[in-house]
Amino acid sequence: MTATHISNRRVAVTSGRSAVRRVTRQPGVLVFTAVFYLMVTVALSSVWRAAAETSGGALVGYTAAAFTWYVATSESVIISLPQRLIYDIAEDVRSGHILGEMVRPTPTIVGRIATQIGTALPRLGICVVIGFAFCSLVAGLPTSWSAIALAAPAAVLAISTNIAGQHAFAASSFWFRDAGSAWFLYQKIVFVGGGMLIPLEVLPDAVNGWLRLLPFAAMAYTPARLASGHVEPELLLLQAGWLAVFVLLAARAFGAGERHLMRVGA
Amino acid sequence: MADAAIRVEELVRTFVSGGRRNRRTVEAVRGISFDVEPGERLAFIGPNGAGKSTSIKILTGILFPTSGRAEVLGIVPWDERRELAARIGTLFGQRSQLWTELPARASFDMLGTIFGLEDERIARRIDELSELLDAKELIDQPMRTLSLGQRMRCELAACMLHEPELLFLDEPTIGLDLLAKQRFRELLVTLNTELGTTVFLTSHDVADIEQVADRAIIVNHGTIIYDAAVDRMRTELMQQKRIDVRLDHPDDSATIREGIGAAVEVTERGPGVVQLLVDTETRSVRDVLDHVLASVAIADVSIVDPPLEQVISEIYERPE
Repeated sequence: MTATHISNRRVAVTSGRSAVRRVTRQPGVLVFTAVFYLMVTVALSSVWRAAAETSGGALVGYTAAAFTWYVATSESVIISLPQRLIYDIAEDVRSGHILGEMVRPTPTIVGRIATQIGTALPRLGICVVIGFAFCSLVAGLPTSWSAIALAAPAAVLAISTNIAGQHAFAASSFWFRDAGSAWFLYQKIVFVGGGMLIPLEVLPDAVNGWLRLLPFAAMAYTPARLASGHVEPELLLLQAGWLAVFVLLAARAFGAGERHLMRVGA
Repeated sequence: MADAAIRVEELVRTFVSGGRRNRRTVEAVRGISFDVEPGERLAFIGPNGAGKSTSIKILTGILFPTSGRAEVLGIVPWDERRELAARIGTLFGQRSQLWTELPARASFDMLGTIFGLEDERIARRIDELSELLDAKELIDQPMRTLSLGQRMRCELAACMLHEPELLFLDEPTIGLDLLAKQRFRELLVTLNTELGTTVFLTSHDVADIEQVADRAIIVNHGTIIYDAAVDRMRTELMQQKRIDVRLDHPDDSATIREGIGAAVEVTERGPGVVQLLVDTETRSVRDVLDHVLASVAIADVSIVDPPLEQVISEIYERPE
């Protein structure tokens, strides 16, 4: 078997599957994720529900119920992600751990992204179950099942885009060996510009129109917007586009980073 | 020589560190050349900073050389890193390639896929290797429940899954206890003799060299300072032999010293037990033995080579 005959898709599926098995064998992590998710969702959704109720029942088009579904979804796609991913990638580069992956016949980025998605999926599953139960209890059943049907793949696309994006950002550590600033910047952009804490419509019109088009919206805003009852399938297309862009960027950045490492040494 | 497993010619690697004001250039590898034949078991040894790891990184394709040429299995490693990776196995010290939370079998499935093996072949290889490496009872237990020695057996199986022609091992026995080290060395020899896998091993542990390698290359300060069969190392390099003598009459130990000459160092190791260190460059062992036999009555005598560790230390300390 030569390297060119090895299927990256098969490697990705197997890596992802192994990661799922690994996470499901750590029930403590899943319980912690679930508890943390519930705490954050309860707190934030109550803030937005209060805001909607004091604004006559709706704010920027979101009712109290819609806000609840929005927050539950946006938090689920962020909390289910592996924490400190950019730091961990930088540490693997700094410590030379990544060299062990470079002596394999497939691109390191394939296994890495697939593994992280596999790690996030069981957590997402737990968050979705808890979030659905919480929202149904507090805000009632979804107003649009079509929107929920779109939100489900959007949530998976959101974590995939986020993970690919973090890899693209973290590739800077091949040159700078420190991911602190990259992580700080990335996190803040996703929190605000990605609509994790605040639905983008709350921001001024001049800003939110642009933010909806940027990749960070695909990481939190898109599934949350859909789950809050808005049937906007075009958002899924935009998400898929950004996922492709970030996967390509991450692959290029890792390729260049590995060649840099080969020049300067780990 | 085109069939050599590894061919290295005038390989040089320098590293530049520091900023503009304090720029420093370090020559980690300074023009080394050697060949490794298929099926050889080579120990590539040297003190810290000698250039071992740098060389192994270049040969596995994860580091560019500054100049020089190298081919591994006919491939220029840094030009076709992934093509080479499909044909070699690597084990870098304690850097695990197996998931700790899962049984080794799950990691083997993943690694087998990464190396392009079909599911059936992965299953067959797992069976073969677990049999060969005596790891059948280990591969279905979570890795975290295994001892370090058992884990290393699984690591070895992992890097042999895709039937590599050449195995690069960088300090593979570091941290293992004596029994686990011994077991690991036996397994390496088994892999070499039964599967014909070429072994390229770096280690600080002299026993790894003695028990695994049939040839040793010693590097220091980035250059090769010795390259020969391990068996020949002692005979070629040692300038000392030790003669252990047990006397019939303990009081004779003083008699041995008389007229023995400056090239022999005599030490009393107990009542009637004397140790003679002979500088073989200036005095033959036979000459010293003749003297002993002529001067005292002996109950037992043995001639001992100095430990390989001592031989290697002496090579390191030689002036360049």
